[in-house]
Amino acid sequence: MSPAGVTELHRIGVKCLAREAAPLKLVDLIPVFQRWIQAGDFDDLPIDVADYSHVHHGPGVLLVGHSGNYCYEESGGRRGMVYYAKRPVAGGLDTRLAEVAHKALEASRRLAAEAGGLAGLHFPGNELVVFANDRRLAPNTDVAWAALEPPLRTFLERLYPEGYRLAREEDPNERLAAYVSAPGPVALETLLMRLC
Amino acid sequence: MTSWKELLAERTDPKLVREVDAYENQLTLRRQGKIEEGLFQETRLRRGVYGQRYDNGLRHDGIAQRRLAFPCGDLRKGPETLWDAPGMQRIKIPFGGLDSGQMEVLADVAEEYSDGIGHVTTRQDIQLHYVHIEDTPDLMRRLAAVGITTREACGNTVRNVTACPKAGCCREERFDVTRYAEAAMRFLLGHRDTQDFGRKFKVSFSGCAEEACGMAALNDLGYVAQIDGHGRRGFAVYVGGGLGPVPYQAKLYDPFVPEAQILPLAQAVARIFARHGEKKNRGRARLKFLVHNWGIDSFRAAVREELARLPKDPAWTAYLERPSACAERPVHTGRSLAPTGDIAFEAWRERNVYRQRQPGYAIATVVLPLGDITSRQLRRLAQLARRFSGGHVRTTIDQNIDLRWVAETDLPALHRELQAIGLARPGAGGITDVTACPGTDTCKLGIASSRGLAAELSERLTTRAGALDPSFRQLQIKISGCFNSCGQHHVADLGFYGVSRKIDGATVPHFRAVLGARREHNAHEYGQTVGAIPAKRVPEFVDRLTARYLAERQPEEGFPDFIQRLGKQGLKPLLDELARVPPRAVDRSLYTDWHDAREFNTSDIGVGECAGTVVARIDFDLQEAERLHFEAQIALEAGDYRKADETAYAAMLEAARALVRTDEPDAAEDPDTTVREFRGRFYDTGLFQDRFVGGNFAQHLFRRHTDTERAFTRDDARHLLEETQLFIEAAYACHGRMLEQPRTAVGSPA
Repeated sequence: MSPAGVTELHRIGVKCLAREAAPLKLVDLIPVFQRWIQAGDFDDLPIDVADYSHVHHGPGVLLVGHSGNYCYEESGGRRGMVYYAKRPVAGGLDTRLAEVAHKALEASRRLAAEAGGLAGLHFPGNELVVFANDRRLAPNTDVAWAALEPPLRTFLERLYPEGYRLAREEDPNERLAAYVSAPGPVALETLLMRLC
Repeated sequence: MTSWKELLAERTDPKLVREVDAYENQLTLRRQGKIEEGLFQETRLRRGVYGQRYDNGLRHDGIAQRRLAFPCGDLRKGPETLWDAPGMQRIKIPFGGLDSGQMEVLADVAEEYSDGIGHVTTRQDIQLHYVHIEDTPDLMRRLAAVGITTREACGNTVRNVTACPKAGCCREERFDVTRYAEAAMRFLLGHRDTQDFGRKFKVSFSGCAEEACGMAALNDLGYVAQIDGHGRRGFAVYVGGGLGPVPYQAKLYDPFVPEAQILPLAQAVARIFARHGEKKNRGRARLKFLVHNWGIDSFRAAVREELARLPKDPAWTAYLERPSACAERPVHTGRSLAPTGDIAFEAWRERNVYRQRQPGYAIATVVLPLGDITSRQLRRLAQLARRFSGGHVRTTIDQNIDLRWVAETDLPALHRELQAIGLARPGAGGITDVTACPGTDTCKLGIASSRGLAAELSERLTTRAGALDPSFRQLQIKISGCFNSCGQHHVADLGFYGVSRKIDGATVPHFRAVLGARREHNAHEYGQTVGAIPAKRVPEFVDRLTARYLAERQPEEGFPDFIQRLGKQGLKPLLDELARVPPRAVDRSLYTDWHDAREFNTSDIGVGECAGTVVARIDFDLQEAERLHFEAQIALEAGDYRKADETAYAAMLEAARALVRTDEPDAAEDPDTTVREFRGRFYDTGLFQDRFVGGNFAQHLFRRHTDTERAFTRDDARHLLEETQLFIEAAYACHGRMLEQPRTAVGSPA
């Protein structure tokens, strides 16, 4: 895989891992996402809410959008808020990474601010998963990882100037993904400011 | 950057490559407005690219109906379907057979183009939702590279050929029907006699007459394996079955059709359906209406007459003789397994494990909740299939996946691995394993949330599964979001389909109960429709009805018998009690649907694409000619003059062939025959002649056909492209005249 492939990558996703004081019922996310659609204050065009709360470690509940999907999901057995782009994102790869991360973090912030059944949900902000949802441009290979890592590190240094650890998804059958962890919690507002 | 097309070209069947190339060109032509939207709709449906709820750009968000401002503006992919609106991709899985490599690719495309979920349907297909139409060519290429086609998954075509998932392993079957189902799929796919239906056409194969796995009774064409008195293989053939709003039981066409005659019989039935089936009234266009209207005796006579007329085709037997693509071999030697003492394993084993007729082997059923499986689970399951079942699985019409040829001694290890990926739910095919169509989640026709109700019932029943009476645990629940029966509610003990009622000035979601089907003998008796129940009270209805069954049943009385004995009169008090809906001010919950917080309304129901648009064969053929002309233009722009020239010539031949087929469907398709037939039937008769230019445009084809010394220059290619365009336009005009004034010539040959 040539570095050129990775630089053309648009189907990027970012997951902001969550903590729940008590296990959240995923179906409680359905009215929340439906309210978000009603509010009509999204950058993207929100289309519908999809419920996959019945599948094990799946996409949970999705807010399906035109440009990308938001979901509170539990892949890998860890719950978190994900945004992943489906249509082209403007700018170079570093800009695209920041744009996608901004959307994931902003949705996390918004979800954490929800009252009611979601009380006890928070996002420590120090654990992210960044993934490439495009096996043509960015398969989970050493070559593609070598191409992705430098721009990813540039982006992460902006997000976590205090330092971070980076690990790659080891299963070659899964998507190319980077597991990011910073030493301690960081407020989502801080992270969002660093991306501005 | 290398495209999927380039990456996969060498490992894909060239025929499939050409098909996807053609489809991709059609997308381009539609974007340019060069294909009419109704025609494009049927074109994409025939590639399995289906509409989805809200694709008309309108969605009720619970407060008001809002317009979804897709960037595409007014560009449409069908008469009421916006280009950018997410859609569904249906993927045909003939007889439900998949290998591990195919499962891995399905997992990947579900993740990258859909929402990370593969959905197994009640016809053993796999569906992906929320797919953008511009992603579909790459999606198809990746599937084609592992031998999967989406061709004719939707539209007025032969849909997925289904078969018993136990075929080859079943203790009751007469013989393994797999290769017959596979042969029927290959023979009918793209066959010229299956391109002009007024409606879809469903085929199934069953290994025995006694069980329900193949459900021959609810298919247009159902084959049930038989062995005659001489030990020869054949099938009892049933025709004209179908569910939908008014279910029809298939009629016995012939108690024994020898194996070598099943494909010509399918072809003859297809011809009769294409020729005599209803084309205008979409609600009466299925084969079941034709069989019903004619009566089985007249239908049989017409098919036999057609059979006698069919030109002989080596494919009738060649497909049966081909080695199967699904050659299954066990991984480990089969050894039987004694009871283990592991409670969770034994609970799973009770309903999820079927002992094969081959000693020491078993089929393990993986229960998929609502038919859904995540991409990660699908990849892991592919690995488990390699490890335990020789790398093969079958999807089932109960929306599950079967691993076959598992050595019984491997079952505990398989169960542990399934537990690790959340796929070890017990109760396969029982009360907790609820079947549901997509309903209001994604279907344009859905009235109520079949999946929401299914999830709720499944969860509630699972929590008390251990305490349930065994005769209760074996009941089946099937739910459809509307009367069209995609959830197959007519063949369940407890079936439900979505309806609505106006109460207190608002709309309340309801489900109508359809009870007591007898599934044995290929679903020989459908359930009886009783009353409608508010959606939120269906779980209570299930609890109370089944409790009554357990309390009041007579010795050995099955649920269908109990329902029959009770009758509508006996059920009425319970239905009446549950049907009373308090005003909204008292209980708002009844005015919403399961797993949907929006106040219920039916304004999102759209125009279904299931019935599609009837597009005549000639419209498709002329569109193909246009597509070839487009391909020739691209070749010209790329400087490949030879290809441009030859493709333009092919486009003219295709247009001529389109006209010839209207007169002689069985005409050979080589260029000499096409030109000769076209000349004789359309040119010499004056049918092709234009009032003003006479037969000049036909000369373009004749000249090119006889030009054996052609130089492939830029100018010549460009001229031929211009002539081709004129020839295609003239073919359209000729067809238009034929419709207006059949067989009236307007001029004489030039």
